[in-house]
Amino acid sequence: MTGAQPVLSVRGLTKQFAVGGGRLLTAVNKVDLDIRPGETVGMVGESGSGKSTFGRAVLRLTEPTEGSIRFGGQDITHISQRQLRPLRREMQMVFQDPWSALNPRLSIGDLITEPIKLHLNLGRSERADRAEALARRVRLSRDFLRRTPSGLSGGQLQRVCIARAIATSPKLLVLDEPTSSLDLSVRAGILDLLAEIRDETQTAMLFISHDLSTIRAISDRIVVLYLGAVVEEAGAEALFETPAHPYSKALLSAHLPADPEVKLARHQLEGEVPSPINLPSGCSFHTRCPVAIGACKTTVPQPVAVGGTEHFARCIRIQGGATQTARSETA
Amino acid sequence: MSQVVQGEAATAPRPGRRVLNRMIGLFRMSPVAAVGLLIILFFAVLAVFAPWLMPYDPIQSHPGRVLQPPSAEHWFGTDANGMDVFSRVIYGARYGFGIAIPAVLLALAIGVPVGLIAGYKGGYLDEFLMRIFDGLRVFPSIILALAVVAATGQSLFNVIIVLGLLDAPVFARLVRAEVLAQRNSVFVESSVAAGNPTWRTMFVHLLPNSIQGAMAQTAVRAAWAVRISATLAFLGVGIQVPTPEWGAMIRQGAEVMVSGQWWVAVFPGLALIMLVFGLNLLGDGMQDVMDPRRRQQK
Amino acid sequence: MSLLKVEGLSTHFITRDIDNQRRVARALTDVNFALDTGRVLGIIGETGAGKSLTAQSICGLLKPPARIVGGRVTFDGQELTSMSPDALNRLRGSQIALVVQNPRSSLDPLARVGDQLVRIHQAHGRHSRAASRKRALDMLAAVGIPDPEGRARAWPHELSGGMAQRVLIAMALMNDPRLLIADEPTTGLDVTVQAQILDLLRNLVQRFGMAMMIITHDLGVVAHYCDEVAVMFAGTIVESGPVKRIFSAPGHPYTRALIGATPERRRVGQGGAQIGGEPPDLYNLPSGCPVRLRCAYATEVCASPPPERVMTPGHVVRCHHAGDLDARGSVA
Repeated sequence: MTGAQPVLSVRGLTKQFAVGGGRLLTAVNKVDLDIRPGETVGMVGESGSGKSTFGRAVLRLTEPTEGSIRFGGQDITHISQRQLRPLRREMQMVFQDPWSALNPRLSIGDLITEPIKLHLNLGRSERADRAEALARRVRLSRDFLRRTPSGLSGGQLQRVCIARAIATSPKLLVLDEPTSSLDLSVRAGILDLLAEIRDETQTAMLFISHDLSTIRAISDRIVVLYLGAVVEEAGAEALFETPAHPYSKALLSAHLPADPEVKLARHQLEGEVPSPINLPSGCSFHTRCPVAIGACKTTVPQPVAVGGTEHFARCIRIQGGATQTARSETA
Repeated sequence: MSQVVQGEAATAPRPGRRVLNRMIGLFRMSPVAAVGLLIILFFAVLAVFAPWLMPYDPIQSHPGRVLQPPSAEHWFGTDANGMDVFSRVIYGARYGFGIAIPAVLLALAIGVPVGLIAGYKGGYLDEFLMRIFDGLRVFPSIILALAVVAATGQSLFNVIIVLGLLDAPVFARLVRAEVLAQRNSVFVESSVAAGNPTWRTMFVHLLPNSIQGAMAQTAVRAAWAVRISATLAFLGVGIQVPTPEWGAMIRQGAEVMVSGQWWVAVFPGLALIMLVFGLNLLGDGMQDVMDPRRRQQK
Repeated sequence: MSLLKVEGLSTHFITRDIDNQRRVARALTDVNFALDTGRVLGIIGETGAGKSLTAQSICGLLKPPARIVGGRVTFDGQELTSMSPDALNRLRGSQIALVVQNPRSSLDPLARVGDQLVRIHQAHGRHSRAASRKRALDMLAAVGIPDPEGRARAWPHELSGGMAQRVLIAMALMNDPRLLIADEPTTGLDVTVQAQILDLLRNLVQRFGMAMMIITHDLGVVAHYCDEVAVMFAGTIVESGPVKRIFSAPGHPYTRALIGATPERRRVGQGGAQIGGEPPDLYNLPSGCPVRLRCAYATEVCASPPPERVMTPGHVVRCHHAGDLDARGSVA
């Protein structure tokens, strides 16, 4: 799989918002990311880490400030929305809050088949067949097709959103906290469904979440974001077994596993995430970092290879790895 | 305390019973709207069945019976032309609805798309459209209507066009405000992400979710249209005597009021007040029911 | 004697719909639990299970059409459900304190933080202003706010989310409460801040000799910060008992499914999330056990109300089949 051409290839993606008074909020800060076919990349971070903005920028739902996005080999960073529209067939999104992500005035059947109507030239009866097949795929009874979203539960609505997103068999699915607003017992079913779809269709997925257990359960590779920048990137197991960056360590230890027998390791952080409006100089994490030294305030850390393959951390305090100046050299 | 009251079994009542229950339910939800609706239904029946309800032809003059007071023969008396006021009041309901409904539909047809486009596109286009509407609102609507109708010719058609144009900004502003609130909502983003062209995002996704405020205002604006059209007729612009239109009838009656023949103006005046009142009540109730913020306070 | 004892508490929503039909939502049905000083009780359940409503019923914060239709709430020997609203108001904010989610919206945006703390102190007792100010600064320090004097002069909008939650906790502590009810105290806060707030609450319970009820939907919070847990489903406590016991030997099929559905316990795609169905309609609850329509172990007997079975002392399961699940599970 390593040799396959990436579905999505992002380089140096930056998104800034003007927040008045001439100040800039840096939501995403020079992020590089590749996603290969069939691969699920988890993106984890706290609120304000820019993970949702990144997901939206990748699909050009918000315009990136700098950097480039290549989708299926084609540079889509600057093409017009009109040129982009046919490509949307290949890249779809599932949003966090299924209650507000569906037009409340349309029937479930119309919502599910809307992408088919927009992108594929199919007759009405064929679309109806597809709607039934999709409903079956996400394990919704066909009775739902005639109903509107209002009477459905969160889990059912999220299944509708997923059916809608996979209707045109996209190559890339961006999932922005798809299970965060759902109840625990419903989450498991949604995760199962997503895993099944990925295994059947080899759809590449960008799975954005703040929840470490969920991310771990579904991802092949995990990217940790802090204040818009990637601080660590590793295979899912490697990150949980041997986290290298002090922020990743703190994030992992703050996580509460649903098991009273697991002893909590304490790398507790002081304070809270600083404002993304005036990013701290040097390494953004130095204001809360337990191992920060003077140089951290001035040096912007570059990716350092840690241990196994494809494990990088951006921290000047990590020893023993050759500093990489750009990821493209290793790719 | 484990024996808990069981929820009522959902046995389906008989159809007649169901309609009655729905009426009572509606009445509980908004008694104001229910009363308004009853008044409007009353006038709607008058308008539809006018030919069968009128004892006389409304524009048939009876030269021998000029300005007769109310009597068993002429319940509301007769006017200066010897026409039966009762018949004219009943027929007048047709003009009330006949002006208000098309005027409001026209206002919706113009105002809603303009508000939608202004709100979604924003920027200079929005500025430009909203400034035009602000300009319109600077003039008192009755004076503007007077001037335009006087200039374009006095006909029922022109009155409707003018009222529709004057009222369009009200709907445009309501829709625009709602579109601005919904423009960044997730389902709109989701429709863009699915690959909807802009027009489809606007009209299929945004519009049906932004129009409630405007729809809730339709009854109130219809009341406005009834009132303004009657005022125009009263001022002698637009609809002319002897058309059995309430405003025109009040104008006629006002002339003879001083000499004691009150019935010519009072009965069409009462009809006008009741219809406007009914429409306003319904409008108020509709806003209560359709606007979730107002509903919550109940 | 327990500090708080809830017996047979039932709360209904009684409304009329557009067809003028009386509709009753049985939001809480026969809720029983007790809480002792020094203990932390976690109430866990999904949306609509009745967690927050339990707290609101206890401290008399129900708004129509919700109303208590049966049961008793005894706090420190006093019966709360029959208490006058004034007396309940006095109790709430002094003896019983609430910490809610969305701390920002619970603070008065037009008053300085210190003044709000002073205000609540003065409302519940005769204190000199100086004494109240001193108390406010002490409590701000107790909840780990650096520079209490500076923070007391701050406006609510100047506080970060975590800081606002600390202020709210300080406010709850102003009148020496004996019971702290925390309704989703860390929802909306970042994970790294969540740990700070929960550690703080846990320590305060010990230090001030209080009892605490934490309402949460996060099993991780229950596992690491609670002594006891009550699992709610459709307005009923289906299982309650010591945390370690319930995680190691859950007795109710719903609890089993809930714990089994965590990513820690199962691999994605492994299936077996049977109780992943939808929550039942409170207006139209099935007779007997509310879980039975989506329970793999359900039999005819489940159509009658399930008994409360004591598995081990303190561990109560409300299920007809409690105790013989494993035998039956291997057959199924």
